[in-house]
Amino acid sequence: MTRISPHLGPMLVVALITLALYWPLMYLANIPAAQRALDTGAALPCKTAFECATQLRSPVLPSPQQLWNGFRNLMFPLNSQSAIPLNALVTALETIVGLLLAALVGFFFAIGMVASRAFERSLLPWIVASQTVPIIAIAPMLVVVLGQYGVQGWLPKAIIAAYIAFFPIAIGVAKGLKSPDPLSLDLMKTYNASNWQTYLKLRFPASIPYLFTAFKVAMTAALIGAIVAEISTISFQGIGKMLAENSRASDVVAMWVIMLSSAVLGILLVALVNWLERLLTPWQRVRTAATPLPKQARVSERGGAG
Amino acid sequence: MMQSNTPNTHLPSSSLEVRPIVSVRQVSMIFQTGTVALKNANLEIAQGEFISLIGPSGCGKTTLLRLLADLIKPTSGTIQIGGKNPEEARKSRAYGYVFQAPTLMEWRTVLSNVMLPLEVMNFPASERKARAEKMLTLVGLEKFARHYPWQLSGGMQQRVSIARALAFDPQLLFMDEPFGALDEITRENLNLELLRLWRETGKTIIFVTHSIPEAVFLSTRIVVMTPRPGKIETVIPVDLPQPRTFETRELPEFFQIATEVREALRRGHGYEVTE
Repeated sequence: MTRISPHLGPMLVVALITLALYWPLMYLANIPAAQRALDTGAALPCKTAFECATQLRSPVLPSPQQLWNGFRNLMFPLNSQSAIPLNALVTALETIVGLLLAALVGFFFAIGMVASRAFERSLLPWIVASQTVPIIAIAPMLVVVLGQYGVQGWLPKAIIAAYIAFFPIAIGVAKGLKSPDPLSLDLMKTYNASNWQTYLKLRFPASIPYLFTAFKVAMTAALIGAIVAEISTISFQGIGKMLAENSRASDVVAMWVIMLSSAVLGILLVALVNWLERLLTPWQRVRTAATPLPKQARVSERGGAG
Repeated sequence: MMQSNTPNTHLPSSSLEVRPIVSVRQVSMIFQTGTVALKNANLEIAQGEFISLIGPSGCGKTTLLRLLADLIKPTSGTIQIGGKNPEEARKSRAYGYVFQAPTLMEWRTVLSNVMLPLEVMNFPASERKARAEKMLTLVGLEKFARHYPWQLSGGMQQRVSIARALAFDPQLLFMDEPFGALDEITRENLNLELLRLWRETGKTIIFVTHSIPEAVFLSTRIVVMTPRPGKIETVIPVDLPQPRTFETRELPEFFQIATEVREALRRGHGYEVTE
């Protein structure tokens, strides 16, 4: 929390400015549409274009009132199949399972790349190439293929999420495994440490900060993967399924609400990684503190000589 | 177990013939680039000595230390450490190595850093902590066991790395410019502390430096090395009284030996040496 607080003020200022600009922008965008609706004689509960701008069925930009009502409609009841909470939970689970799968595969590739140059040279170009295939093109095919093996429901979405999330993890972890300096590797050699011990005591711990940085990138990628997978395949649950449904129904307000909710979901998932990072890498905490050296340390330095 | 309790008195040169703990015969090291890092080096070191390797950059002093430690293999010549070849010696954990940088693991506390070699060498879990704590006491850092390395000053970090090198009680301690990155005041304090450690533990220390006063102050003998090609110019015995104190630096003999070292460096065109 302390790390966020210095940004809180400026962030609020930006939020207020955005809100202040939103109203005029919303009118500017909606008035022509409202005028057209009035001209065609649609049954509207308003008389002037200005009035109607905040009440359009499919506004260009929804009014804050419409957004608020949209939220109230889509948030409750919490366990409803058509409400956001349950669907967001499904998408979140797909994303997290996808990330864990990606971590598994990413670690495997990372170790391969660090342990063997031949592995790196022969496979890295293919890994890079795999990431250039648009996920939206792969997703339906994967779901059909996996379906033939009885893999259905949320799992194919998690696999698709993993497909785009493993790349940043593999690259990040490989970088982390290579991060120990030559002297530290020499040190392990003077202990006659085995290869496995060098990984366990030096390379793995050294890669943890890199792993978390990669997780933050991979988490957002996995969320996109999960949502795209839900949209582009037959889904019965999830944020993507809600987006697809409301898109077909042209419910602009609902789509705005779902979009903002998925943004919040993304933020929460990244915050989860941040929290885990702080929990698991205590040595990095308060790194930025102004006085890293405790008082007694300086005294002892002087009196240390025997 | 760590104290072999051989008090280090000044060693007469006759003791060298007894049984050297380190023996270097006609050792050369030529790197792939063609650089002759070390040419026909010969050196014998007796148990309990404090040897400094001094010379400017490129004289092969670090190369010699890395050869002894089996971090690199010589192009030609033989090296024996306690009767074994360097690889056997490394595998039997005959030496502790202190690098230019503390190379502490930032994710480990000070205590846990000192325990690292004991974990790698499969010491019983019950023994690790006791040994590490003892080592930290030896270097005067027992109060900082729970700190992380970044919370310590550079000098303290290097003391932790010395404690770590001694944790598994090797006979030999190799030190590659361990105090090179520290300020003069801290360095002089650590020099005194290192001599105390040497006396208390009876280790044989091989110490790389490019500071003449440091070499004279610490050593029983100074190996003067000169560059292009890297070679041993001469070996100068240091007959200053033990134990050495701050006052040792003011003795006329101290200056005499320092001058001798300086002249040897000049003879071998190693005059770029820093002080």
